[in-house]
Amino acid sequence: MRIFKSWRYPASLPLFRFDDRLLLMLMAVVVGICSGLAAVALNRSLIALFELLHHIRHYWWAFVLPAIGAALSSLFLEKIVLEGAGHGVPEVLYSVSRYGGLLRLRSSYSRLISSCLTIGSGGSAGPEAPVVMSGAAIGSNIAKFFSLNDRQRVTLVGCGAAGAISSIFNAPIAGMVFAIEVILGEWKSVNIVPIAIASVAGTEVSRLLQGNQIAFSHRQFNIDLLDIFACLGLAIITAAASILLTRMLRFMHGTSGKAAIPLWTRAAVGGCAVGIIGIYLPVVLGEGYHSVRIMIEGAFTHGLAFVALASLAKIVATSLTLGWGGSGGIFAPCLVIGSLVGVTYHHGIAFLWPSISWVNEGCFALLGMAGLISGILQAPLTGIFLIVEITGGYGVILPLIIVSAISTSLCHYIEPASFYLKELVDRGHFLRPGTDARVLSDLSVQEVLEDCITVNQNMLLRDFVNIIKISASNYFPVEDEETGNFLGVIHLGDIRPYLFNREMYDAVVLGQLIDSKIEVVHPDDDLAEVLRRMDENRQFSMPVVMNNKFVGLISKTKLLDQYRKELMVQTDQ
Amino acid sequence: MKLTIHEIAQSLYLPLSTVKRWIRQGRIPIHKSGSGYVFNEAILNKWAAACNLTFSPPQKGIEKIQEFELENLFSAMKRGGVFYDLKGDDIPVVLESAVNKINVLSDNTKAKLYNLLLERENITSTGIGKGVAIPHPRTPLANSNYNPTITTFFLEKPIDFAALDKKPVFVMFILLCPSVKHHLHLLSRLAFCIRDDLFIEFLKTYPSSEVLFSKIADFEKELDRAKNNRL
Repeated sequence: MRIFKSWRYPASLPLFRFDDRLLLMLMAVVVGICSGLAAVALNRSLIALFELLHHIRHYWWAFVLPAIGAALSSLFLEKIVLEGAGHGVPEVLYSVSRYGGLLRLRSSYSRLISSCLTIGSGGSAGPEAPVVMSGAAIGSNIAKFFSLNDRQRVTLVGCGAAGAISSIFNAPIAGMVFAIEVILGEWKSVNIVPIAIASVAGTEVSRLLQGNQIAFSHRQFNIDLLDIFACLGLAIITAAASILLTRMLRFMHGTSGKAAIPLWTRAAVGGCAVGIIGIYLPVVLGEGYHSVRIMIEGAFTHGLAFVALASLAKIVATSLTLGWGGSGGIFAPCLVIGSLVGVTYHHGIAFLWPSISWVNEGCFALLGMAGLISGILQAPLTGIFLIVEITGGYGVILPLIIVSAISTSLCHYIEPASFYLKELVDRGHFLRPGTDARVLSDLSVQEVLEDCITVNQNMLLRDFVNIIKISASNYFPVEDEETGNFLGVIHLGDIRPYLFNREMYDAVVLGQLIDSKIEVVHPDDDLAEVLRRMDENRQFSMPVVMNNKFVGLISKTKLLDQYRKELMVQTDQ
Repeated sequence: MKLTIHEIAQSLYLPLSTVKRWIRQGRIPIHKSGSGYVFNEAILNKWAAACNLTFSPPQKGIEKIQEFELENLFSAMKRGGVFYDLKGDDIPVVLESAVNKINVLSDNTKAKLYNLLLERENITSTGIGKGVAIPHPRTPLANSNYNPTITTFFLEKPIDFAALDKKPVFVMFILLCPSVKHHLHLLSRLAFCIRDDLFIEFLKTYPSSEVLFSKIADFEKELDRAKNNRL
């Protein structure tokens, strides 16, 4: 009976109570399978929707299809599930930073449906970020169902993301690296092992249901030293494209925000614009994996001008889709833009130095993808492993690393916060474990509060001296005798000379000694802010006051003590 | 072991809110099961050591460590007793005869104490003025297993003690304490009495021990009242 009752509290079973690694591994399998299934479901419905709409795509009015899709997806998010637009990864990161990975149950399907509508109808976006959100929400809710604690929940959120990416790309290492590098930011074996297991489970699900196929067929490339030098230039171009895409997305977002029309009409406008571009350049529509495949095979026959134009068009289309309220991820567009940029670059150098026999343009398409993914996410490892896995191209690993590393560094130089983090960093909500900001945000004023003796303003210095005798404190808050309201603080350092002057004992009341200009803290204040103010005013202690009543004293000594404990506890695992 | 969350927080010297948050965040090896908390002391101890925290659970049996109360003048003076007409013309002689009268000490200790007292007098005189001297060893006696003792000696004739105010000393309180803390506590109380000029006048009447003790008891009451007032 007890075992039956406790199945929902696996963390308190004797087997798992003191070492939850085994528990997390078991949970990771479950989460990995579930998020893998979610990814497969999205993939299948995208294919189905694509086929359903295929026969009407050649009509002249087909350009409104992306508009209808985007509008429906926006309406669905706004009216039915009440969630914000966008791809969801910042939300996952925010919840991992602030709320121990708590995510709503409906997040596990909402983005799947909305992105399916957006992408299936031709919007320029990718299915990966929605799947990440959904996998993360699945992990979070499984953890909630089993009453796991925050740390375990965050790990399962990572597992969900890893399982989703692994499943949708059939790329276990990329999923694992993405979850650790982007979602959790913590390279610890407690996280890595369950996430690796979830990746395996997610990949296995996708392989069972869709067969073990690599997204882009692989060709053998012969890379010369000269090609590696050419990579440097490519890295610069991909970094520029990444920055352009990031800026363009933000610009579109800002512009659409100014338009005084309902959200769903905004999405429709964006979708419509994409549809019109799509009439002339169909390569921009949808997730675009088909064209990537062609480019890697080197069968993309268009000339330099066309490819360059297509790259720009894809960037604009993606910004229009996502910036104007469509729902979807940035991964797939990055791959398409990357490959377009790679091919453009190849055409460019082939045009400039026609005598040199450059490696096949497919190789540059591949490197371009890595450069763009690394540049946009500022996650070099994710870029490298993803491309290696989805192309099976271990042979190009050396130029791949070079392009990824340089592209990431350049983008980081120009845009310090990546596409996913920009918003969070701006709002100060991006908190990696074990960092100063995280420690301070976890601690609360309540936890560092010190009690001390209060005095009132009519007390004689003589009585006060007696209080000083038995007190260890340097600060004495003064309260009003009648109302109990906080009046100010007496700092021992300020009145030291008077303490030794017996003649003043009966001549001075405490009201005359108060430092009433001292800054006060509210119990709900952020400790980082409190510390900043302490430094600004060169104070070592500040009184905490709520509703005009003195609550306690907050001192740097106690804060630092608690800070260190918190840091030790956070980093020891 | 079953401890409430309050007791755990106390044992770790942490605020309750911190411990609760750590449990929620899974940073401390304690599990919440229903409304209670489960933990293994050995694991918690190991964790605390790894995180540089102290974990000292309340001991069973000794429910509460007794609040350490410092002894007062009255009992210390009563223990030491009062002696009158102490003979001697200079400091060493007076001290020697005084030490010999302290009956709680063994002969061996007496010799040692005498040397220590002289040593202390050589640094500065313990004559604190108004004809009073408080000889004491600079550090507590090696064998610190004794109770604080103040022995009062009225001298046969006032002698020059090289006191600060040059007044000849007519009364000595020899202060023997097991620790510096006791010493300071008693010294501060004794100084409080001596600061009062009426008390000096009273001492000059060479009062009997009972009268002296009851006077001291009065002073102590006053001191305690002042202390209680400001709490």
